[in-house]
Amino acid sequence: MSRPLTEVPEPAGGRRGPPVLMGHDLRKDYPMDGQAVHALRGVSLEVRTGEYVAIAGPSGSGKSTLLQLIGGIDIPSSGAVEILGTRLDTLSDRDLTRLRLTRLGFVFQRFHLLPVLTALENVELPMAEAGVPARERRARALELLAYVGLHHRAAHRATQLSGGEMQRVAIARSLANRPALLLADEPTGELDAATGGEILSLFRRLNQDGTTLVVVTHDEQLASEAGRVIHMLDGRICD
Amino acid sequence: MSGLGWSVKALRRRPLRTVLAVLGIAISAAMLLDMVMLSGGIEKSFAELLLAKGYQIRITPKGTLPFDTEASLAGAVEVVEALRRDPDIESAGAVLGTSLYGRKEDSLVTLFGYGIQPEAQALYQLQHGEDLTADDTTGVLLSAPAAVLLGAGLGDTVSLVGRLDPQVAAGAVNRRLVVRGMVRWVYDYRGQPSVGTVLPVMQAMAYGRQQNRASLILAKVRSDTAVPAVAGRLRREFPRLEVYSVADLVRFFKQRLVYFRQLSYILGIMSLIVTVLLITTLLTITVNERLGEIATLRAIGIGRSTIVRQVLTEGTILTLVGGGLGVLLGLGTARYLDGILTSFPGLPSAFSFFVPRRENLATAGIVLLLTGSLAGLYPAWLAARAPIAATLRSEAQ
Repeated sequence: MSRPLTEVPEPAGGRRGPPVLMGHDLRKDYPMDGQAVHALRGVSLEVRTGEYVAIAGPSGSGKSTLLQLIGGIDIPSSGAVEILGTRLDTLSDRDLTRLRLTRLGFVFQRFHLLPVLTALENVELPMAEAGVPARERRARALELLAYVGLHHRAAHRATQLSGGEMQRVAIARSLANRPALLLADEPTGELDAATGGEILSLFRRLNQDGTTLVVVTHDEQLASEAGRVIHMLDGRICD
Repeated sequence: MSGLGWSVKALRRRPLRTVLAVLGIAISAAMLLDMVMLSGGIEKSFAELLLAKGYQIRITPKGTLPFDTEASLAGAVEVVEALRRDPDIESAGAVLGTSLYGRKEDSLVTLFGYGIQPEAQALYQLQHGEDLTADDTTGVLLSAPAAVLLGAGLGDTVSLVGRLDPQVAAGAVNRRLVVRGMVRWVYDYRGQPSVGTVLPVMQAMAYGRQQNRASLILAKVRSDTAVPAVAGRLRREFPRLEVYSVADLVRFFKQRLVYFRQLSYILGIMSLIVTVLLITTLLTITVNERLGEIATLRAIGIGRSTIVRQVLTEGTILTLVGGGLGVLLGLGTARYLDGILTSFPGLPSAFSFFVPRRENLATAGIVLLLTGSLAGLYPAWLAARAPIAATLRSEAQ
């Protein structure tokens, strides 16, 4: 590929560069049956350029909530998130949406591709929203599909793809606007072991090519692939 | 891939549901179109009928509308001559309408008779044969139903009877006339057996002896813009007669049809409401089914405006396709219904209830498109306000 998959500040030296993500004392409470459920109880973290971080923990430990907060999908009850030095709580809804579009990439457990669109169109979608010219986004989408090994499936609708293929298309989509940070929530959760292994390899390759990754998982094998593992329990980082 | 292409694909995801919705919208649009055509069509058709031969003014006995009663006006010839002397009037002619009978073998058949001045007539179109001349007192014109009823054709002699005495079933006036031409009487209802003679012959048959009376006098004004002024002047000149311009008659007609028009408006509005409900329901169901997908799109940075535009585009596509089909369906049903309604006795067969007018069709189209598109507002609002995190959490469970 002529340009890197993601666009991040150049590391000063070595593999780790300046912080892409900083979370300060993040707390999240949900009201449930008249009582507050403390999903996060004061989590702080920092992710630097080029890192591959896994957030691991059992179900209900708050790892997905943490991912939603650092991805600007949800708002913390208290605390703050900074992406490339921008505090998310200072942004309007429109600017926050724009930041998610251009600076972050998301991969979900259930892929969430648009079933009526082809693999190519799904990858093109974020670029169309960002205003990338049609010819340029098509070329980029084909390039990304080739990167995830699905160039030959470009014209197939999402419903015609296997689970592993759908997740690879979702990864290609997440890279469409050259994000600074890729966030993945249980990316192998819906896949069998062999297919999950392919996704692990893909993440490893992505990171080697310079992509900063934060992956939420309860899969120990996936977590062990990461350069750094943050363990969570009961809404707190436990190591 | 454009937003339009995305919308089309989204609608094709549930083809049966989309087809049913489109059919529903088409039926509503057809109903709306028919109601719009009906509300304005009758007036337009009436005005066109009155202006078929370019005669813009009708003069009738005081207090009557043309052919509304059996009243007649006296001194018809003098009025016509006075009109013909008027420099603003191109031509004028008197008409007498009366019931009469025709002999067919040993029986009598009921006919309607027009006494006309052939040099200035606005009541018929010659279809076969020759027209009458002003001094042709032995000729007669027949409508097709009259020809069938009398068993007569061009050149045949028919026997007409006026002023029938019901006690002895014998006519006071009998005339044997030669069929000169077959005509279509503009104001006849379907199947009406009508005959026409020159005015003096019909006056003789109607009154037993020649009387200078007529049911109606028609006048053609040289310039359409001068019609109101000429009508006003004639009202002052003939205070014992009624003078109507076509605009006056259309106004009277509109007053008589006000309830009819209101009914068509109400039905039109109901069809619009049905359209809105159909589109809103379909899109709301679709949006609710796709909340997870919408939350994902929002998560990856697709803006609310894109989501709203997407849902509204789907509503617009449904409206356009349904509306397009509705136009065809509406025109088809209008023709069918027109056939039924114009076959009612007493209505001119040339009359039309459903007249497509460009401005009305355009208004109906715009109203339908606007309401159809706006019908997507609620589902679009639902889609735009879907909470991203909560929806993704519930999707994951």
